[in-house]
Amino acid sequence: MKPLKIGISWVRGVVGETLAPELVVDFACAFGTFVEGAPVAVGHDSRRSAPMVHAGVLAGLQSCGCDIVDLGLLPTPIIQYAVRSRRLAGGISITASHNDARWNALKFIGRDGMLLNSFQSGQVMDIYHLGEFRKRPWDKLGQIRRDERAAQGYFEFLLDKLDAPRIRKAHLKVVTDCCAGAGGGLVRGFLERIGCTVVALNDEPDGDFPHSPEPNVRNMKGLASVVKSVGADAGFLVNTDVDRVGLVAGGGIPLSEECVLPILADYILDSTPGCVVSTLSTSRMVESAAARHGRKLIRARIGEGYVLQKVVTEKAAVGGEGSGGVAVPKWTRWFDGFASMGLVLECMARRKTTLAELAAGLPRYHMIKGSIPSSSERIYPLLEAFRKSYHSESPNLEDGVRVDWKDAWLHIRASNTEPLIRIIVEAENLARARELYDLCYAQVQRLQTAGGA
Amino acid sequence: MTKVQSLKISISGVRGIVGEALTPQLLAAFAGALGTYLGRGPILVGRDTRPSGLMVLNAVFSGLLSAGCEPVDLGICPVPSIQVRTASVRSQGAIAITASHNPVEWNALKFIGSRGLFLNNYQAEELLDIYHQRNFAQVPAQEIPRVRQDSRAIPEHIQKLLDYFDARIVRGARLKVVIDSVNGAGSLAAPAFLRQLGCRVIEIHTRPDGLFPRNPEPLPENLGALRKAVVANRADVGFAQDADADRLAVVDAHGRPIGEDYTLALATLFALERRRGPVVTNLSTTQAIDDIARQLGCPVIRTKIGEINVVEEMIQSHAVIGGEGNGGVILPEVHYCRDSMSGMGVVLQLLAARRQPLHAIVASLPRYVVIKQKAEFPPDQVSRLLDALERRFPDARKSTLDGLKLSWDDRWLHVRPSNTEPVLRVVAEARSRSQAQALVRDAQRIIASLK
Repeated sequence: MKPLKIGISWVRGVVGETLAPELVVDFACAFGTFVEGAPVAVGHDSRRSAPMVHAGVLAGLQSCGCDIVDLGLLPTPIIQYAVRSRRLAGGISITASHNDARWNALKFIGRDGMLLNSFQSGQVMDIYHLGEFRKRPWDKLGQIRRDERAAQGYFEFLLDKLDAPRIRKAHLKVVTDCCAGAGGGLVRGFLERIGCTVVALNDEPDGDFPHSPEPNVRNMKGLASVVKSVGADAGFLVNTDVDRVGLVAGGGIPLSEECVLPILADYILDSTPGCVVSTLSTSRMVESAAARHGRKLIRARIGEGYVLQKVVTEKAAVGGEGSGGVAVPKWTRWFDGFASMGLVLECMARRKTTLAELAAGLPRYHMIKGSIPSSSERIYPLLEAFRKSYHSESPNLEDGVRVDWKDAWLHIRASNTEPLIRIIVEAENLARARELYDLCYAQVQRLQTAGGA
Repeated sequence: MTKVQSLKISISGVRGIVGEALTPQLLAAFAGALGTYLGRGPILVGRDTRPSGLMVLNAVFSGLLSAGCEPVDLGICPVPSIQVRTASVRSQGAIAITASHNPVEWNALKFIGSRGLFLNNYQAEELLDIYHQRNFAQVPAQEIPRVRQDSRAIPEHIQKLLDYFDARIVRGARLKVVIDSVNGAGSLAAPAFLRQLGCRVIEIHTRPDGLFPRNPEPLPENLGALRKAVVANRADVGFAQDADADRLAVVDAHGRPIGEDYTLALATLFALERRRGPVVTNLSTTQAIDDIARQLGCPVIRTKIGEINVVEEMIQSHAVIGGEGNGGVILPEVHYCRDSMSGMGVVLQLLAARRQPLHAIVASLPRYVVIKQKAEFPPDQVSRLLDALERRFPDARKSTLDGLKLSWDDRWLHVRPSNTEPVLRVVAEARSRSQAQALVRDAQRIIASLK
């Protein structure tokens, strides 16, 4: 099983195993060839492997003749904004986002700041596989310019969009956990600028992650206890490049990462026309948010690139995933932890409500998520077997197999980021969810064993 | 005719044309191979001023970091300063990013071991084996080091030179010097060194931007600007470096290049007058060295071409001076490396101590004429060619240590494949130009007939 994954908009691998410098350089060259040597931005998160990947990316882009705005240590949304606001041809964000410290990745950003969509990604991969990269002579190599001002520019942009005076007047106290990622220092600075009192945990961006950087309930223990002990109104857990956020309500109550999109969707739809885009694996909670405003919900394949592709074509008001990644397309077309946190606070301030109340307003579903390690050669036969066994339920086959019933749904698919089969079920009552999940899990295991025999 | 390749991987390093064969992938792989070979720990990295140096540097960093080595960035730095620094700090070795005297579109990696010496043939072959096997060391993410900066290499090198030479004597002479650093790495070191020796310094081509205003090889035909400046400024001497500042050419007060072989001849005279001992130089260096050494009762040992071959023999035989006829002077008390600034110190101290103009000192040396040419030739036909040459000159003494050298008492001819370019080098020396030309002409005729 090789820990290298090539997905829509990125390539991700384990440093010291698959993510070797030559591979990094090759992908940087493929991207530099894709943008035809035009100027690009590069930034990275706080991982210890960042200097190695960063140097390889710079060398590859330089050799293609791309002038580089080197943004240094920065979260992905700010790199994306820098690409858009400076009218660059694209960018590379060096981050494995929510993956643990062994991993690193290149996220490819297009001309408009959006992650590459599936067509653009396909072109980069074709160039990579052909191996015929753009090569420029000594006097046409890309020049590197350092730029330390991107974060300030982005915060000014967001401050202008958010109702900062209202947030300020609410005197909100928040606790942040940046997991020693690229948000360290910056998230706190941003929240202070919109008038919050901030207690910052794991705020030193040194790459020594104190826990798994995935912003889910499992990783919120420390944050929740501080939210409770300091009497904060909210807690925010962000991943290493701040494209996702997880929420802790006042009193130290962790909210499922599935709550972020429905809470924000409900608030954004108050003031914005358009539909909602989420994924095949996202909770039905967002359906009721859309239904309440009389809007359509469109489900895309999993992955930011796919979601934003749909957001653009459907002119959606909001798009996101159940993992805590939400895009606010009237401002920006990418998953953005900063915009998400700002809007959650604005919602609390304007509606004079608490996170606990917002969460309580969501319909109750029971979701069970799990995964089973599986080698890539087994995944597809296995999904095929599933498709056959649920044939009579007319499953959705856009991304793995999704089956919908009136009171429940299940989704089984190959992970984009790891060699895993993911199983997600959601039902109105827990017993039904458990029953479906167990059935599905046993089925996967049976098929795996059969495949191995 | 053979195609001139844009890449040369050899025991002297990896050298290629940027934008053609010298890709970041190749560079990262070589750095990874070196990191694997030398093992985890600090590795110094310095570069000349070529504009492609930053791309090469980034690729090298990536490869070293992946292997768990800590790159120590010396910035723009003469190769001898890299070598001096490598020997004085704790490190696994160093990489010099420079294509030396090659034109600006080239760049290269040269590999240096922990004692500040270039890898020798055996070490270089081990490194190439690792490169070809592609199984490079890779450390886990959490063990990847960071890049460190070090700006001490040039100051430390200059201090060593000032300690070696008699700065008081040189300062007393208030010599007027023109320096041409070809906008290379020497720009940051040579003018400072010369000023610290009390010279009145006129700088030409000392902007370290790597836009070479002349061919960077310090051959007489490339020194027009220096010669004019020396005459116009009534300077005592003019110095020209190559891009990485290991080689030195010298111009006398009349604006005449003394010939790059005579840089080493002067250094030999200087060093042997200080202290008697063996002299080591390569097969293609002027016979004047033998004459000078003989007068002072010292032996001369000849080696294959290449700095490391000369250096290893120097260490072995406890030589007091060594070097190569292309202007590369090695003073072991400074460091076992070719160093243009060592050469400058020699010339300046000779001028100051003898109170004579340079042309007078050079006139006192035995006079030979050297002719150096290149020829393209299919590499697989070289041994056939050398046989033919040997048959053509049956009366000569022959050495097959490096290609073929044919010697007579007053002249010699040396034909060998280059270590750095895909060509043959044809060198002849004799008492007169016509004699040397005759040798070269004969050799070229045989080469042309076998091509």
